[in-house]
Amino acid sequence: MNIEQLLLAVLTYGCLYSVMTVSLNLQYARGGMINFGTVAYFAAGAYAYAIFTQEPPSGLDQYAFGFNSPWWVGFIAAGVAAFLFAIVTGWPTLRLRGEYLALTTFAFAEVLHSIFLNERRIGNGSVGLSNVNRPDFSWIGMSDNYGFAGAAILLLMFTAFLCHRILASPYGRAIDAVRDDETAAEAVGKDIKRLRFEIFVISAVPVGFAGALYAMITTLVSPGLFTAEVTFFVWIALILGGEHTIKGAIFGTLALILFEEVVRSFNFETVRSAEIAASVEHIMTGIIFIMILRWQPFDRFTKKEAVQ
Amino acid sequence: MTLLAQYFVTGIVTGCFLILATIGFSLTRRVEGFLNIAHAELLGVSAFVTWGLNVKAAWPFLPSAIFAIIFTAVVGLVVGRLFYDPIRKLGPAVLLISSVGVAYVIGGSVDALVGTGIRTLNIPLATTYRFFGVRITDYQMIVVALAALTGLSLAVFMSKTKIGLAIGAMADNPELAASRGIDILQTSRATWLLSSGLAGLAGVVLALIATLSTDLAFHQILQILAVAILAGLGSLYSVMLAGLIVGIAMDMSVFWIPAGYRPLIAFAVVILVLLVRPEGLSGRKSK
Repeated sequence: MNIEQLLLAVLTYGCLYSVMTVSLNLQYARGGMINFGTVAYFAAGAYAYAIFTQEPPSGLDQYAFGFNSPWWVGFIAAGVAAFLFAIVTGWPTLRLRGEYLALTTFAFAEVLHSIFLNERRIGNGSVGLSNVNRPDFSWIGMSDNYGFAGAAILLLMFTAFLCHRILASPYGRAIDAVRDDETAAEAVGKDIKRLRFEIFVISAVPVGFAGALYAMITTLVSPGLFTAEVTFFVWIALILGGEHTIKGAIFGTLALILFEEVVRSFNFETVRSAEIAASVEHIMTGIIFIMILRWQPFDRFTKKEAVQ
Repeated sequence: MTLLAQYFVTGIVTGCFLILATIGFSLTRRVEGFLNIAHAELLGVSAFVTWGLNVKAAWPFLPSAIFAIIFTAVVGLVVGRLFYDPIRKLGPAVLLISSVGVAYVIGGSVDALVGTGIRTLNIPLATTYRFFGVRITDYQMIVVALAALTGLSLAVFMSKTKIGLAIGAMADNPELAASRGIDILQTSRATWLLSSGLAGLAGVVLALIATLSTDLAFHQILQILAVAILAGLGSLYSVMLAGLIVGIAMDMSVFWIPAGYRPLIAFAVVILVLLVRPEGLSGRKSK
């Protein structure tokens, strides 16, 4: 792998995952909600995109729906799917706090994963949907790789802008107030249930868009791609970046993706050594994660910024 | 009808394994006050140490199992001292998130040392017995016996010995326990040893009844969570009841719905319990 490809991959996937990290930042660092099911909204978006854009089933296909729509319809459908799934999962669970919310969202994500795996009429079960349609970038004279990198950057900019606007507004102050002290926020007349629900649902939409973009880039959606690993990855990236700021979330994700891509770009002589490298990558990630949570090196720095 | 009875019996065996796997987890949850996601990885550690000694070093099964349990208990204690003790003041949510990191470290280490592939222990094949048309193997009976024995001895340990009583006191109210002269640090270490040793026992049982692969451990955590949540913050007995309920529900569900959805039952239990009765079977509210 040459340097250009490596950088392009880091940029594309880094921005794509950053969309999730930034949304999670809105939910956790600002809204105080621990969502351990981020991958579910990502998967919902990816599947919605694939289902809307693929051709109607034929031959050996087991899926029931294919609408053959243009890519932008699928893209919008992805956002709507994540939005709806967030309403379904958020409405009953948001009265739970802390670790209990983490567990229910985690369980919901596993339920969705299990449904995609077992219900063949949605997306061919464990085989998944391949040859997902992707938009063509030739009309503006760009190769696919650069086109998708650009799309990922645009999506990230849109998400960051949205989050920034929300948090800089009086509405954002209300969210901070709910996180810091629910009783006090309620005492000054904030509807805390509603605020939490709104933040939960709004922040799921960009994750759905990211899912659609991911489906375009990989041209494949299958349950194996959307496991709890994705959720953990986003969490590690968020903690790595120092929790409280949009910038931090983006840098954390880019750093983690760079680390992964560099490890993957080595050529290994045997399968066993590649396996060991992958395990060591896991161990390193875990240790970094634990160390950051323990010493919280960014905490003082970010608190200052959050006050501004 | 026989088929249904068969699923019921298999469900009891599953439930007994879940009891063994959850008792330690639940103990940590009550005493240390957080959900230790890495607990399931300790099952993996124990299962693979047993396998390594039994197959690679050609030890007989029993000594390998005992060594594996002791080894896992020590690993659990070291992990607790090294990773969890320093951040205890940051609260249960941070501890929960950290334990994901710990799970990565332990799981990655097992992966690196063992590698992928499917393995079995070097033990005699299971003998099947039939009672009124319902089949049960000798290993399955061992699992049930072990769960009953562990439950009983743990109940005696917790109510009769000094350390057991101290652990119980710390689970109920750490400040009060400390003010009554209980050595918090020592009790906490005893808890880590005990709960990790129980994880070790569950790992040995897993090695006995299942084929081993390195992603095995992760799949257990969801069921352990389901049992622990259903049991709530209560006593040993609610864990045993919850384990049986989840085990039987999972295995009997196969009678009505496709087998692929079997793990879903565990998640459905988590969601339902948290939405309807967050305090679980025991009815105790969290602090």
